[in-house]
Amino acid sequence: MFTLQRTLKDFRRTFGDPVLALGLLVAVLFVFFTILLPIFSMISAGVSGDGLTSLQRFITDPVYLNIIRNTIVMGLTVALGGTLLGFLFAYVQVKVKAPFKRFIHIVALIPIISPPFALASAIIILFGRSGLITKGIFDTRCLWGEGRGCNDIYGLDGLTLVLSLSLFTVAYMNLKGMLEALDPALDEAATNLGGSKWHIFRTVTVPMLVPGLAGSFLLLFVEAIADLGNPLVLGGNYEVLATRIYISIVGLFDTNAAAALSVVLLVPSLTVFMVQRYWINRASVVSVTGKPTGKPQQIEHPVVRWVLWGIVMAFCLLIVTIYGTIFVGAFTEVLGVNNAFTLSHFDFVINGYGAEAMTDTTLLSAIATPIAGLMGIFIAFLVVRKPFPGRGALDFATMLGIALPGTILGIGYLIVFNNPIELTIPIGETPLVIPIIPKLTGGRALLGGALAIILVYIVRSVPAALRSGVSLLSQIDPAIEEASTSLGANNAQTFRRITLPLIRPAFLSGLMYAFARSMTTISAIVFLTTPQTRIMTAQILNEVENGRFGNAFAYCVILIIIVLISIAILTFLVGGSSAATRGLQGGR
Amino acid sequence: MNDMTSLRLESVVKKFPQREGSGEFTAVDNVSLDIRKGEFITLLGPSGCGKTTTLRLIAGFESPTSGRINLGGRDITMQPPNKRDMTMVFQSYALFPHMSVFDNVAYGLHLKRLSRSDIDKKVRATLDLMGLGALATRRPNQLSGGQQQRVALARALVMEPQVLLFDEPLSNLDAKLRVQMRGEIHRLQRRLNITSVYVTHDQDEAMALSDRIVVMNAGKIEQMGKPEDIYRYPATRFVADFIGRANFLDTKIQAIDDNCAVVSAFGQTFRVPLQQTPFSVGEHATLMMRPEAIRLAHDPSAKQVRIESAMYLGTEVEYMVMVDDQLWSVADTDPRTGRAFDEGATAGMTILESSLHLLKASH
Repeated sequence: MFTLQRTLKDFRRTFGDPVLALGLLVAVLFVFFTILLPIFSMISAGVSGDGLTSLQRFITDPVYLNIIRNTIVMGLTVALGGTLLGFLFAYVQVKVKAPFKRFIHIVALIPIISPPFALASAIIILFGRSGLITKGIFDTRCLWGEGRGCNDIYGLDGLTLVLSLSLFTVAYMNLKGMLEALDPALDEAATNLGGSKWHIFRTVTVPMLVPGLAGSFLLLFVEAIADLGNPLVLGGNYEVLATRIYISIVGLFDTNAAAALSVVLLVPSLTVFMVQRYWINRASVVSVTGKPTGKPQQIEHPVVRWVLWGIVMAFCLLIVTIYGTIFVGAFTEVLGVNNAFTLSHFDFVINGYGAEAMTDTTLLSAIATPIAGLMGIFIAFLVVRKPFPGRGALDFATMLGIALPGTILGIGYLIVFNNPIELTIPIGETPLVIPIIPKLTGGRALLGGALAIILVYIVRSVPAALRSGVSLLSQIDPAIEEASTSLGANNAQTFRRITLPLIRPAFLSGLMYAFARSMTTISAIVFLTTPQTRIMTAQILNEVENGRFGNAFAYCVILIIIVLISIAILTFLVGGSSAATRGLQGGR
Repeated sequence: MNDMTSLRLESVVKKFPQREGSGEFTAVDNVSLDIRKGEFITLLGPSGCGKTTTLRLIAGFESPTSGRINLGGRDITMQPPNKRDMTMVFQSYALFPHMSVFDNVAYGLHLKRLSRSDIDKKVRATLDLMGLGALATRRPNQLSGGQQQRVALARALVMEPQVLLFDEPLSNLDAKLRVQMRGEIHRLQRRLNITSVYVTHDQDEAMALSDRIVVMNAGKIEQMGKPEDIYRYPATRFVADFIGRANFLDTKIQAIDDNCAVVSAFGQTFRVPLQQTPFSVGEHATLMMRPEAIRLAHDPSAKQVRIESAMYLGTEVEYMVMVDDQLWSVADTDPRTGRAFDEGATAGMTILESSLHLLKASH
């Protein structure tokens, strides 16, 4: 009782500042209505009534059990492949003395701005049954095997390749950061104690990276099982949960079945998220001091060096070829069949529905990005600097926005916002109805469903801003903010004059990432687009499903260009001045 | 309440929830303190003794679990830190890295909404006072550690606060600069006569700067007093050990005569003047002597001790000697002798009666 009173007292003291209190209220309401409510509604639809019946069928029917098994297997192969690829790239980048590192780095980053389907479509053009390479060069329909044992690009193998290539960037960035943060003195100490390079790699480097490797593995697993675009295009007979959910909604209009399937998909996603949060993050042993004590030692052994470099360069070549195919394909009638140059695909996109989709997508992403950024930074500020009860819960709930598959969020929105949310108070003959949230999805939705899409973009981007905000704020000596307070500044003044300027550059690069992510997302918004609001990724899906790869490629090229231009504009706005490089440790 | 009192802590308690488990950890345990106007008080103690928490309670960065804090007669216990007329100098300096030296110092004045010309005048004057006039346009990372420290001090001083708070401000400087800055803080504080509360774990710093030292241990005040008194007449064995070096010998009070206790050690009888702590005849007590209160000589009639180690430090020779079964520290501060005894040699030890001090027996 006594502690509760004290907690309340501390809470009142912390949030005695009205600006802070209002901000907290906004953050809590936002997280509740846009994340928790849709997810809970989705779950409750999935485990009750028709949903429950479907659920019971799914976990006994061998067809569905096979789908579940497929999903898990694909998640594991992609997680393994992507993590290995990411590690290889990161290791070569940081620890191996080799040429073209800048090129390798850029190639590794390309998949971030890649629209969905781009990779899968290009792979089909290159390695498909009548692919430029399979059919054109090797005169076969298969990747390996012949006749009945023929194994074409469709199915698990193709999915593993494409998803690993699309997702390995996360692992690469993650592990590269860790490798760079490894204190070179550790290597030096181990060498000094008589360890060989290989021995050091096994006994020092890898153990230090275990949390990073495990973290990347789990992250890729979740992303892979959540992915909708690639299995839709490349799955063939290999059906996974995400595609089945999509078909339930788009083909069968069975929201309850989709919700039930989503509950099944939710289980591994949520488990991985919990493991990540409560185990991996605690097990991290890499101490980031911000002060490298020496230059990292690099591998100079010729065989090791060139073999590793060769593998990485081969993958770089593959990635470049794939993106080259997209680019060339956008300007070609039908790649591999009629290789004549044409601008008709761009004409179709720009003068057809595409123009609308382009402006809508860009506008909605541009609206969502700064809101997401500010919301993320503000929640990070609360979580890092204001020790209030429930901050862990706020952080957790916000992270659910990205931790859970986009399809789940999309279905949640479909269920919750398909009708206006109203508060009915039964007084008199006509009950008083207070509208809280109008209808946001489906026909006659507010702003043609645009608001729902913006909300989804925000929800999907806030977690990244939150994480980058948390890590940035943790790097800033709290004494800097206390100094400002001690000199008479209130919370808002300190935040605006001290905190924000210090985190601005890194914050803006976080925004770029969020924008690129919004522009290229499909799974979360595929159920929310309406004839009034066209989204480019959904249009690409449409073209790919109809086999019009040229149009899809033209969309992809335009989308990539929009993202690159936006990044250029943001970079120009940030300018060269970076407070981060000036050191965040109070001038030390 | 005394007119001269500037800052008063009344039975202040601060408890933190334990990181593991549900218990509580008492960081500051019933601390009461009266600080006079213009006084320089140092909170001294080992790490984890509660000195920094006490300072943060005064600054308002933490709120006390119970107890009250008064400033100039007004209760400020629940006042937010930005409303308190105090400024703090941080251990990490906490300079704003994105602002020039001038803007750092002007920051608080801007918040006070002073006119531009006033701000300019005050900042210039303070920068000149601190010898920073030429560095006004520099960024913090273009300054040396000592210069950064000066900027931090200037930024706090320019506010002309009622109370200046220091959180181990010199601990990041190298030894030589630390002594120099110590002198500068001393000079400035005396000149500007600002009430100051200073936290450190460095006893030399505390002795050099303070009007009064507050020695803290485990959240409690162990002793409070002038530096000389704390050094010469520590109230507890903890204080004796923490401030300087000390040797201890168990003894028994044989008689009390003219406010002096009569005790014997090594077959000799000593008269030790009693301070605050009362003793009774027959009571077991601990005799404390500082290393410089012991003389070593080639004197076969004195107590014979073995020299375990001898370290020549320039201003003194520091001996570790085996006295019966205890290792004692002895300082020979006579510059003429040099290293008079070699390790392994035997010397005759005499104790200066006037430097002896009695402590309650440690159980």
